[in-house]
Amino acid sequence: MKRKRTSNESETENGVSRRDFLKLASGLAAAVGLTQFIRLDTLAGSGTEGQEKGVKWGMLIDINKCIGCNYCTYACQAVNNLADDMLYNVVTTETTQNGTEYFLSRPCMQCAEAPCVHVCPVAATYYREDGIVAMDYDRCIGCRYCQVACPYDARVFNWRQPIEKSELSPMFGVQEVPNRPRGVVEKCHFCSHRIDDGLVRNLTPGVDPQATPACVVACPTGARVFGDLNDPESPISKAREQANVTLRLREELSTEPRVYYVPPASAYRPPFQKGE
Amino acid sequence: MQAIVHYPKVRIGKLSVDIFPYWIAFLLGLIAFGLVGAYVVLTEGLYVTGLSNKVPWALWITIDLSAIALGGSAFVFGVIVHLLGLKRYEVVGKLAILLGFLGYSTAGMVLLFDLGQPFRFWHPVVYWQPHSLLWEITMCVVLYLTVLMAELLPIVMEHPGISDNFLTRRFAVFCKIRTALIWLAHKLHSFSPVLAVIGLTLSLLHQASLGATYSVLSGRGLWFNQSAPVQFVLSAVAGGVALLFFLSIVVFRIMRPGLVKDDVFYDLARISGAATLLLTYLRVWDWAVTNYYSFDREIALQTQLLDTIAPYSLTFWLGQALLPAVAGGFLLAAGRVRNFRFLLVMAAIPIFNAILMRWNYNFSGLIASITYDPFTPTVVLNSYTPTWVEFAIAGMVLSYWLLMFSLAARYLPFQSPEKEHSVH
Repeated sequence: MKRKRTSNESETENGVSRRDFLKLASGLAAAVGLTQFIRLDTLAGSGTEGQEKGVKWGMLIDINKCIGCNYCTYACQAVNNLADDMLYNVVTTETTQNGTEYFLSRPCMQCAEAPCVHVCPVAATYYREDGIVAMDYDRCIGCRYCQVACPYDARVFNWRQPIEKSELSPMFGVQEVPNRPRGVVEKCHFCSHRIDDGLVRNLTPGVDPQATPACVVACPTGARVFGDLNDPESPISKAREQANVTLRLREELSTEPRVYYVPPASAYRPPFQKGE
Repeated sequence: MQAIVHYPKVRIGKLSVDIFPYWIAFLLGLIAFGLVGAYVVLTEGLYVTGLSNKVPWALWITIDLSAIALGGSAFVFGVIVHLLGLKRYEVVGKLAILLGFLGYSTAGMVLLFDLGQPFRFWHPVVYWQPHSLLWEITMCVVLYLTVLMAELLPIVMEHPGISDNFLTRRFAVFCKIRTALIWLAHKLHSFSPVLAVIGLTLSLLHQASLGATYSVLSGRGLWFNQSAPVQFVLSAVAGGVALLFFLSIVVFRIMRPGLVKDDVFYDLARISGAATLLLTYLRVWDWAVTNYYSFDREIALQTQLLDTIAPYSLTFWLGQALLPAVAGGFLLAAGRVRNFRFLLVMAAIPIFNAILMRWNYNFSGLIASITYDPFTPTVVLNSYTPTWVEFAIAGMVLSYWLLMFSLAARYLPFQSPEKEHSVH
């Protein structure tokens, strides 16, 4: 017994046997090999490569033209059959730094780096080819992480059963999409059903009303412009060119929204000129 | 060798009453009440709760996070017993695995009610979205719950009633099932080191991700920070081991005197104390970075507004900085303190701290949320009041936890066969 132990010890130098050393070395080699498959930037910017190529639908809202009539919200409610506490689109009264009030209407921003897409555990929220952030209502489990993640409060949860028929129908339009079940989160989808149907019939979304989101069509002052951001001839590209300044909401979060705003003129006037 | 189990009894006059049946009946009553709430929420939908589009995560999520955190001792002791091979912790390690299983199953149960579509709970396992922290957590928790069940089976199989009872004596089928289970338990027990490594990996992954669930959300000000994942891991170790210390005093020192030496209890306290002190250091550093050195107007405003409606700053300084620092110090010096009543009070602090941290974390970003208007963004306060349904279901899952623990504390032998052999 004692002899055996000493023979073992003679194999060992500095307490590490050759076998242990080989084990450790092969483990390290395997780890180094693995690093060739996983790059450090693997997780960053996931799934958005090539997102800016091809048709990308966007919206421009001219705050100077908005009169706060809420027709965009009403049309949205009628078309998507939304209860009054489940608005995809909201119009609020906000103020600029110098205290001037203006109306801010907010659809879903259809972000290119959407927090809701990043966080959804079942990929029920996804990017369409055309940049619209869409939902698979059969897959959503209703965990509401997307609601927590959205910096624009654009997401609404189905707390109750869907309503029979919106009070705003047929005044502002009729229901065009099927109801969503209780217990899923839903969102504005730029009336993607209109865009898809319109493209089949050779219509141009943003130009032909049948192929354009209901809120854009319903706006009585033309404050909302819709179209392909990558097509220089589209209404939105022309409107963006015309506007001196455009901004997007909470740009500092790098969500890259596809909804642009023309800021109120009062925001860029020095305070002492107010009331002129 | 069967340890003698002492049941806690209450003295009424000259009578000494075993309150165990009454306690079980009380818990079953709470579970029955919770089932009423469960029926209401499953048939009516989540509008019966106090949740809203502004505060979509609330009481149930806090229970879920806390239950997972307080089950944190299971992975710590899986490593200590089966990887480091410190066999003197084997008996408390068994209790740790039980607490882990109870914590995770409680969390799974309460999450089920929190989902808008409870019957789609299996979707993350099938529809993968590996970039989502919640997906990663779900996968880890599902896998880890399986690991915990594998670790728990040999412990439950120790109960003499399972190998020899009315059913196995009467029916051959049950005899065969028993033999198969015993075989499986032995096999699983021999795989303990492998299970310990898997358990450690899965636990570190999802305990950290639970913090990251909140801290990746850049739009929520207070939540957006880098140290939350580490804080969640440390507080799971601190709170989880503190709970193990607390309950192993009850299960072993009071009910089974002599089974576990006092030194083991001191070591439990020391592990918890060290983790508590580390956590407190990180927590204060995190405060300095997010609130003191940063000149983030929104975070300052969020903190200010939270202070107007709740003792937000006070709960930080008292509950998460001062008390844990004191408790951590005493727990670390447990071998010198030697006063178990005092140590129990101290051990309650890391447990409370783990729950408080998760409660505050969840609500701070939701109650005080930042508006999206471009020129004068500000912080608005949202409100949330839990309804009876939320309390009923919370009571139900907590009663489940207590019921299972009470039964295990009374009936499981917690004996190690190895120890028996070494005695002979």
